[in-house]
Amino acid sequence: MNLQEKAQRIDEKYRAFNFISDQLEGGHGRLEGYVVTVKDNICVKGMRSSAGSKILENYSPPFDATVVSKARSEGAIILGKTTMDEFGFGTFNVNTQFNIPLNPHDLERSTGGSSGGAAVVTAVADFPHLAIAESTGGSISCPASFCGVVGITPTYGRTSRWGLIDYANSLDKVGCMGKNVKEAALMLSVISGPDEYDSTVIRSGTPNYLEYTNRTLEGFKVGVPREYFGEGIDTEVSDNVWRGIKKLESKGSDIEEVSMPFTKHSLSSYYIVAMAEASTNLAKLCGLRYGLELPLEENFDDYFSKVRTEGFGEEAKRRILLGTYTRMAGYRDAYYLKALKVRTRVIEDFKRVFKYVDVLAAPTMPIVAPRFDDISKLEPHQHYMMDILTAAPNLAGIPMVSVPCGEINGLPVGIHIMADHLQERKMLTAAANVEEI
Amino acid sequence: MEAVIGLEIHAHLLTESKLFCRCSTNLDNKKPNENTCPICLGFPGSKPMVNKSALDHGILIALALNCNVAPEIMFSRKSYFYPDMPKNFQITQYENPLAESGYIILGEKRIRIRRVHLEEDPAKLIHVGGGITSSRYNLIDYNRAGMPLVEIVTEPDIKDTKEARIFLEKLSVILDHLGVYEPTTEGALRVDANISLEGGQRVEVKNITGFRNVEKALNYEVVRQKSMSNMGLDVSRETRHFDAETGSTSSLRKKEYEDDYGYIDEPDLVRIQVDEPWIQQIRDRMPELPDSRIERFVEQYGISRLQARIIVNTGLQMSRFFEESCRLYHDPKIVANWLVTFLLKSLNYEGITLKESKVKPETFVELLKLIDEGTISERTAKELIKDYTLTGKSPRRLVEEKKLGLLSENELIPVIMDILNENRKAVQDYQDGRKKVVDYLIGQVLRRVKARATVEKVRILIVQILESMPR
Repeated sequence: MNLQEKAQRIDEKYRAFNFISDQLEGGHGRLEGYVVTVKDNICVKGMRSSAGSKILENYSPPFDATVVSKARSEGAIILGKTTMDEFGFGTFNVNTQFNIPLNPHDLERSTGGSSGGAAVVTAVADFPHLAIAESTGGSISCPASFCGVVGITPTYGRTSRWGLIDYANSLDKVGCMGKNVKEAALMLSVISGPDEYDSTVIRSGTPNYLEYTNRTLEGFKVGVPREYFGEGIDTEVSDNVWRGIKKLESKGSDIEEVSMPFTKHSLSSYYIVAMAEASTNLAKLCGLRYGLELPLEENFDDYFSKVRTEGFGEEAKRRILLGTYTRMAGYRDAYYLKALKVRTRVIEDFKRVFKYVDVLAAPTMPIVAPRFDDISKLEPHQHYMMDILTAAPNLAGIPMVSVPCGEINGLPVGIHIMADHLQERKMLTAAANVEEI
Repeated sequence: MEAVIGLEIHAHLLTESKLFCRCSTNLDNKKPNENTCPICLGFPGSKPMVNKSALDHGILIALALNCNVAPEIMFSRKSYFYPDMPKNFQITQYENPLAESGYIILGEKRIRIRRVHLEEDPAKLIHVGGGITSSRYNLIDYNRAGMPLVEIVTEPDIKDTKEARIFLEKLSVILDHLGVYEPTTEGALRVDANISLEGGQRVEVKNITGFRNVEKALNYEVVRQKSMSNMGLDVSRETRHFDAETGSTSSLRKKEYEDDYGYIDEPDLVRIQVDEPWIQQIRDRMPELPDSRIERFVEQYGISRLQARIIVNTGLQMSRFFEESCRLYHDPKIVANWLVTFLLKSLNYEGITLKESKVKPETFVELLKLIDEGTISERTAKELIKDYTLTGKSPRRLVEEKKLGLLSENELIPVIMDILNENRKAVQDYQDGRKKVVDYLIGQVLRRVKARATVEKVRILIVQILESMPR
């Protein structure tokens, strides 16, 4: 079976792809022999890149995202585009007008989202594979946790966003997934680094992260944030995560409980900032230059409305409306500007804690992968509550990695290792030590 | 009734590339939509990058307008749906503009500048088969999308339409001197004018191009608002559109009290710190500004303040033309006189700018020298100006081609003889002692030779001939 057929087989079984390429050539370099899949919201030249949305059904970008060019130049084969929630708007990868991916550990369960397809392919590929994914509020950690793979979300600005179809630009981070910490670290080394096409990228050079996966935890301090083990967190999940924490302790690190009082405000701050930015990003998809093409009738306002009504899914519409509302005169102060202030406080929380701990360890998700029929009973705000543990680190732009640390009835549990800005090295050292191999 | 007028002026900045991408700002000989890239077209996945030289230009303008420059530059997204907007939001500056609280001095008065900020230009809409409301369809040209604009907003310190025009002329000359703007480009200055009469509501007239049109639009509004209030009608708060062809304004939309653009910080661009060394570097680059140049011209060249003002306010090009001419010619007063009284008038009459014309200091000075050498008369020189303005040809060549040079004695004498023969009565009068009649005869000769002789020369010859005639 050739690679394309293998991908098709995965797609038939798990519905993980939005596009499978027939141009499967690799080259020489650090990713020689690796197959790379790319989340659908990251542009690959000539491959349909729809960000999981019908409104961008036929968008074929004329350029590669910087992370894709970097992977190519290290010899990777670019296999195709993986499924996701429409524009990243979701936690279970059920918000898409394309295929909804299925969890390899139980086909009646969600893969998590929004980078669901990326996690599935990483979990099931029987060939050397690495995934390029993206997180705004937890979209790498969540599916990595639910599917039992390693998912890295780097510091905001560590990787270029050029070629990323924006959800919320001040929060979006391109990251990666792999079967283990080493492979994920290799991928992070490849895709990180300066880029003259994204002014938010950090200009300093990139360390070779692979080196930091072989270090010991002597003298390491691991913080356990009290707020991440409270109400709403499945106790079995907590137990598994604590086992991981004990493992870090057994390997030489000190464990210390810490507190971050602004955690409880991070979810609302996150959603306000994300939706406000999202509502402006999606404005261009109105049928004039981008978006569906419908018969031209009446004036442009009517036409734009018709295209957007037809093209966007429910969740996208909800976020556009809410996001627009939070930045309108009269509400802007109370919502958008306030959320920015809260964001600063959340960052300060982390900064304070990272003065005396090297990393933080917590559950990645409050639960294991839920069943689709349970998801369908949830209200929108209950969906949003699922991001309670990932919102704060994403809002703060700190790096995080989800590593499998146990199972409950065959369903994976992820431990979340978070570090201070640009401290991916420490994060990866801890992750490699907690990993069961 | 006093008017209260505030202006918002948009000027294209003269940079190499657009504000957020590497596309050129030079649209000469470009086909529609040729001068574009994924960034200025807002392709999904593209990101803006700030053009540093646009920031430099902005700071230079801010300093020249006596503004306080913000310690940090940040951009915002201004959201609204309109077909000329590739992204349906414009990257502009909102809460923290580049600079605030400046002024321009107009005579005894200060017109305060509220803010100076940078933003991207939208695409150009071409209304086919009608105007903004009546066209059959519209074409969109994105060549202009993403061009760097500076927006300068005044306080409502302008009291009438004439003051508005003088202010704009002064602003234009300042920008011209800074070398950040091309005053002759089509639509280089676009103005939105806010105007209200005492007690009335504020009306905004959008998108007026050119100073003369600003004056027209404001005059129209003053008359309209006055007559409405005379009739006891309320002037309502609204946005109006100016039609350059009819010189009138018409209601575009009645507006809510505040436009709601749902501004957010532009998250694709980082905040940029403006430190003192940067400002100092720009300050060091500050060229001579119009006011001090006028003073220098008066002092250095001894020309009148009025002439200096006219030369400087015509534009940087004219100032340079003047100074270069003075370098090539011994008497700056004569240069100024000919420049202001004849060349400038002729250019204005023909409706071309100095830059568009082919006149050069070298050839202009040649004209003055032709007079000094006695090759042509002043009157001929004045007549020559029109041809010279239109062609820019060397005046010496023009004189040769058109045979405008002064006649020699041998050529003049037969003409004088003819005139004397035709005016026997006058000759008789002269011989009877009424010597003043010579002036009449000189006039006749000059008319016959179409000014190709000087008065002095003709006088000498006529008197010689008359005195030598037998009584």
